[in-house]
Amino acid sequence: MNSGPVRVFLPVIRRLEGALTVPIPSRVRILRELEDDLEALRARLEAEGVAPPEAVRRALEALAPDAASLSRLADLHTTRYHRSTRRLGSDRLKLLERSALAVATASVLVVETTILVRGDLLRHASPFLWLVVACGSVLFALVGAKVFELWIKGDHRRPERGIGTILWLAGLTLVAGFGGVMVDLIRMAGILERSPELATTLVPVWLVRDCTLLSVSILLAGAGCLGWMVLTQWLSLVSEDRLEFLDLGGHFTSPSRRHHHERALA
Amino acid sequence: MPEDDFDIQGFARDINELLILSALRSEPKHGYQIVLDIENESNGLFRFRHGTLYPILHRLEKEGLIRGTWSKDVGRKKKVYSLTGKGRRHLSGETGRVEDVVSRLVRVLRGPDQAPA
Repeated sequence: MNSGPVRVFLPVIRRLEGALTVPIPSRVRILRELEDDLEALRARLEAEGVAPPEAVRRALEALAPDAASLSRLADLHTTRYHRSTRRLGSDRLKLLERSALAVATASVLVVETTILVRGDLLRHASPFLWLVVACGSVLFALVGAKVFELWIKGDHRRPERGIGTILWLAGLTLVAGFGGVMVDLIRMAGILERSPELATTLVPVWLVRDCTLLSVSILLAGAGCLGWMVLTQWLSLVSEDRLEFLDLGGHFTSPSRRHHHERALA
Repeated sequence: MPEDDFDIQGFARDINELLILSALRSEPKHGYQIVLDIENESNGLFRFRHGTLYPILHRLEKEGLIRGTWSKDVGRKKKVYSLTGKGRRHLSGETGRVEDVVSRLVRVLRGPDQAPA
């Protein structure tokens, strides 16, 4: 759309974009439809002999939504979650959402612990395992919260917020795992130096303990990174489409990315 | 039609919906074509202003009365609306209802003295 003729209605479209409070993909679809209709109506009026400024004015008068129409469009395109929680006040809803997030974090912690107990991996657990499990729980809860915010709640006011934290937390989980293994190895080396006769009993136990620590941290960090990657890719597709449509500097870095983008939007 | 159910504001809103459905009866159209056709066919009586068309179009699409599809035209994506079977049936049924309401209204306005024999 950028390489085509001059987009007469682009300033109006940009202004409307700021006033339309619906998820980004719906927003872009609505405005793309509107701009195409505005352009087509303007062209038709001009073809009928109407002066260009008058054609623009008449097209805008007929098709550009006013505040009431924008509000009705927002109502129609809002998410099911938003519709069903509309009756609750914003403070109450925020409290409920935060409580749900806390419950989700605790649930993940319980599930992780249950899996470790069932696998009999807590008998000689490293103290670092608890740090890793705690980081993993927060990581899962953050990914869940972001998925909820973007895809269920449809709140796209600040879509990038919190995405970086997911990656940092995944990194922290991994560092806690590797760091724990290093500390455990150093401690074991110290004990064996003082009492070499403990090697046959101590080494197998510590191997299991550190393998568990390492596996759990890699697994949790990997899952967190996967969540981060999916969210980032989706956000990138949606944001590129929006920026390109609004002519705000969005660009596709490669033809394959554009192809992928068009397939995803289709 | 039970008289208790009649809502004059809802009726006015329904008219806009029916105008859009009737504009799509013959062939699929873009939004601006719907606006122009309704205006032309009603000799300027029915006009959509200030983007009131889009909330109605999108609601009808959600209700399955019309179908919106994106087509590519000279490199640009355009949305075209067509009437669905459900929309056609709805239009047919509602046209009968509008006729009934209007005939009752005219009867009331003319009064018993001017009623046709």
